[in-house]
Amino acid sequence: MSRPLSHYSMTAGSFDEMSASAGVVRPSWQKYSAGIDALGAVELARRWDGAHRIIRDHGVSYNIYGDPRGQDRFWELDPIPLLIAADEWRTIEAALIQRARLLSLVLSDLYGPQRLLHSGRLPGAMIFGNPMFLRPCHGVPVPDNVRLHLYAVDLGRSPDGQWWVMADHTQAPSGAGYALENRIVLSRSFPELYRDCQVQRLEPFFAKLRATFANLAPRTQANPRIVLLTPGPNHETYFEHSFLARYLGYPLVEGGDLTVRDCRVYLKTLEGLQPVDVILRRLDDELCDPLELRSDSFLGIAGLVETAQAGNVVVANALGSGLVEGPVFTPFLPQLARELLGESLRLPSVATWWCGQPDQLRYVEEHIDELVMKPAFQARRAETEFGHKLSAAQKAECIAKLREQPEQFVGQELVRLATAPVWTGDRLEVRPTTLRVYLAADGDSFVVMPGGLTRVALSGDTVDVAVEHGGGSKDTWVTAAEHEPALGLLQPARETIELQSAANDLPSRVADNLFWLGRYAERAEDRVRLVRTVLSRLMYETLPADSGEFAALMQILDSLQVIHSDFKSDSRGPVRALEQELFSFIYKQQRSGSLRETLNRLHRMAWLVRSRLSTDTWRILNELHQDVARSRPTRTDTGEALVLLNRVVTTLAAFSGMEMENMTRGHGWRFLDVGRRIERGTNLISVTRTMVAEYPNDPTGVLEALLDVADSSMTYRSRYFDKLQLSAVLDLLLKDRSNPRSILFQLASLSRHVDLLPRDPASPNPSREQVVIRESIARLEHADLLQICGDDQSGLTPNLEDLLLRLAADLRQLSDVLMHYYFSHAKRSQQIGDAR
Amino acid sequence: MRYCVTHISNYHYAEAVSTSHHALRLTPRQLPHQTCRHASIAIMPLPAVMTGRTDYFGNHLTFVAIQDPHKHLVVHVTSEVEVSAVPAIDPARTPAWETVRDTVVAARDPDALRAFEFTFDSSHVRSSLSLAGYAAPCFSTGRPVLAAVLDLTARIHQDFIFDPRATTVATPLERVFEQRRGVCQDFAHLQIACLRSLGLPARYVSGYLQTVPPPNAPRLIGADVSHAWVSVFCPGVGWIDVDPTNNCLVTTNHITLAWGRDYANVSPIRGVIVGGGEHNLQVSVDVAPVG
Repeated sequence: MSRPLSHYSMTAGSFDEMSASAGVVRPSWQKYSAGIDALGAVELARRWDGAHRIIRDHGVSYNIYGDPRGQDRFWELDPIPLLIAADEWRTIEAALIQRARLLSLVLSDLYGPQRLLHSGRLPGAMIFGNPMFLRPCHGVPVPDNVRLHLYAVDLGRSPDGQWWVMADHTQAPSGAGYALENRIVLSRSFPELYRDCQVQRLEPFFAKLRATFANLAPRTQANPRIVLLTPGPNHETYFEHSFLARYLGYPLVEGGDLTVRDCRVYLKTLEGLQPVDVILRRLDDELCDPLELRSDSFLGIAGLVETAQAGNVVVANALGSGLVEGPVFTPFLPQLARELLGESLRLPSVATWWCGQPDQLRYVEEHIDELVMKPAFQARRAETEFGHKLSAAQKAECIAKLREQPEQFVGQELVRLATAPVWTGDRLEVRPTTLRVYLAADGDSFVVMPGGLTRVALSGDTVDVAVEHGGGSKDTWVTAAEHEPALGLLQPARETIELQSAANDLPSRVADNLFWLGRYAERAEDRVRLVRTVLSRLMYETLPADSGEFAALMQILDSLQVIHSDFKSDSRGPVRALEQELFSFIYKQQRSGSLRETLNRLHRMAWLVRSRLSTDTWRILNELHQDVARSRPTRTDTGEALVLLNRVVTTLAAFSGMEMENMTRGHGWRFLDVGRRIERGTNLISVTRTMVAEYPNDPTGVLEALLDVADSSMTYRSRYFDKLQLSAVLDLLLKDRSNPRSILFQLASLSRHVDLLPRDPASPNPSREQVVIRESIARLEHADLLQICGDDQSGLTPNLEDLLLRLAADLRQLSDVLMHYYFSHAKRSQQIGDAR
Repeated sequence: MRYCVTHISNYHYAEAVSTSHHALRLTPRQLPHQTCRHASIAIMPLPAVMTGRTDYFGNHLTFVAIQDPHKHLVVHVTSEVEVSAVPAIDPARTPAWETVRDTVVAARDPDALRAFEFTFDSSHVRSSLSLAGYAAPCFSTGRPVLAAVLDLTARIHQDFIFDPRATTVATPLERVFEQRRGVCQDFAHLQIACLRSLGLPARYVSGYLQTVPPPNAPRLIGADVSHAWVSVFCPGVGWIDVDPTNNCLVTTNHITLAWGRDYANVSPIRGVIVGGGEHNLQVSVDVAPVG
């Protein structure tokens, strides 16, 4: 049996987390290394395949959705965790709590009395010239004078084993959710290692975080509304936003879902405006309010600053908190710790020189070869210059830039990062790592997540790597002496909680997305069934090209844009040509109306409402998307295509099963089903109309195909045996209440949904949508199909066509009325100025 | 001098606006040489929220929210202001400009520390070597700061042409500098950028200017304008206002509304509306002397 850790060789000159020297494992790793060696390389590889599946199933991604490569760029997680012993962790923990308290005090002062400036402890230039200092947020009142609620620190370890703070994140730190997801994947994939190493659990930290946010709300609120504000689905860490929203139980909202009224923030829900007490934001400071902050961004909420100034909403972290994350603060922290806390700084920061002070500028100029030059104020803007990489001319240019605006830059020491083993699929390699640790405010102190997000560089070079986006990650195992008790998020409440029948926090935008999710799921299913019907008939050669049935199916395919309007038979003959066209519908990436396009839309909608879908539901939709995306047939084979279509039908059925059996019957589910019913009804009407028009040419073929497409053949046969008759078929497809595919069934379901939608309870009159749906049902129930079809059963009689057109119009009107009343959030905000 | 100021802004929207939020800086500041006796802001349609507070720079900020659908918005401000002449300062007796620069850098006293804040770049004003170069001839070694500033004011007035069609609010300063055309806002930004490029504290002042009609011509109602000028800090003296558009020290014809680092901090009406489509704005300002 091959032992995974046996061939690991460390890099000279760096600290290695696992090996003290060649072949010697550090004490804190011994239990783990014995365990993984016992597992063996083959088993490790096998487990690791399973872990990747979990990551894919959960759709853990770090990407920009619109990026064509993005969809396959899943989260990179290494199977080997980073282990840190409990006693070493205690030192780190204490140091980070101290640092968080210090930065919190500095923030409170700078957005308040500014004693640090008046006393000269901090030079004015570092605040006044700092674009992260947001003057409109000065003086915003915050509970307990704390402006920092979730804080993250990047740590690196130098060759002598000393930890250094490399960066602070004080606005909206990302990654805590990824750290939790890493833990879920790793503890499931390696349960025995996880158990044997006695790893400290992450859940208590999130429970604390939840308590922290709940405490920010006014004490009078029994059930304060807390929302997680995201910049939207195009953001690179959107996965994490929706993951955390679900995990913490907060609605995930975009700026457009919130509005300021009467100097309070409200969430626009289906049931009207609901007050919001706390906003956990993942939006940068300056984007939060177009009225008082950056006016060209509409990701935020107009009037938020004013509302916060009035003390009517709490934003976490407080607006403007990004101020203290700039490296410009680093050189001042030791002194500030002594003066504000009366303590010496427990953990050093990477040595930093701020060019805004003449002697420090001189130092940077003289030591440019050993330093990295970066912007002093923005922690995240990575315009970094590595001194040792610059030519003489570039150095002169760099120095000139520093001299022109010295306060804008810092020089920072290069750190030779510690390394850790990384599994490459068949062996271990050495990679530099950094560790991001998270802290949550707890009264006037902080608690530390026992663990964190270990990030791994792409290459083995330990000197000039910035471990940034694009590298991999590791779970971080802080070992405990004792087993900890399991602690979930749903703590027994100490006080009585107000019972809520259904959470009334569904943003209108999300209801809109769910409606379209339902429509696209149904659209995909209807098309797949149709194409499957046609393809299987072509395959078994039961569909002659000169039959009325063929003509009818062609018409439908054309009207649904499955085949293109300019499609013509060619030298291969109509049947082969149609087959080719259908293959292109199934497999082609760039084709309007194609299966892939519909499934892409479906996936996109699912992505938008992820925080509302269960993990299983998401997995089903994700599988569906990947299944079709992966299928790249080398040859065109009808059998192969049918296998794929069958799989798609089954997966879509699994989705609708989840929807029926697992979703709470709230308004979210209701809109999903409304979308599905409207789509199904509309499609069936259109198919019926087209096919019945061809009925006189091929009565049997048309009716068989129609029943097949409508998935009602079995029902028909069980009822009427082989007697095919137009009025009987129509009765089953249109008026049969017990047939879940019939029009009346859709209308009846819609009617029940519509009756339960939130409405002004004071209004005595039925709503518009109630009127529309009731009239439609009456229309269909009163229709005498025998009479409408005529005695000679001549197909699409004027009366039948009229009925079908009216029903289609009813559904269209219902959709319009619902959209207008419930989803009218599409109006855009704009900035208006004054004359000059 | 005592004035009655009427400032009316009329917004017409192509489509209904469902809600709007506005930040107004339309109430004249109280200053040693300026007393605002009375100020009122009337808004149509009636706002759901109208509150006041003092902003970071000490300006009066009015926050307004309109929550009823509307296609027409009127902001009607009337204020009564008394302005007295600022005591004359002999430019030759002000400190050397380098002394001003070096004093604020090392500032500990609150006034100078506050002034230091106005030496840094802001969203509309970026200092640069070329602007420092443009100002350099006025700032010879050891020259008293006010003498140099007035020289620069005259220089800008002479080199630049007042042309409302040349620029918009969005025109960058580099462009104004290149084409040597613009309006009072551009000239104020330009002069501020020149001063900051030399390390001198300079702020942007928004207000009104009473236009004095030619002899024997009647005063035209509503023909006055919103105006902008520059204020420079001089240790021991305080802030001194100069008007590059009119090449003068600020007089009793100038009424101060608000100041900040540049236009972005003090724009008289800033708003975010939901809906509205295209909009147009008519403004009339009347600065009528009283008594």
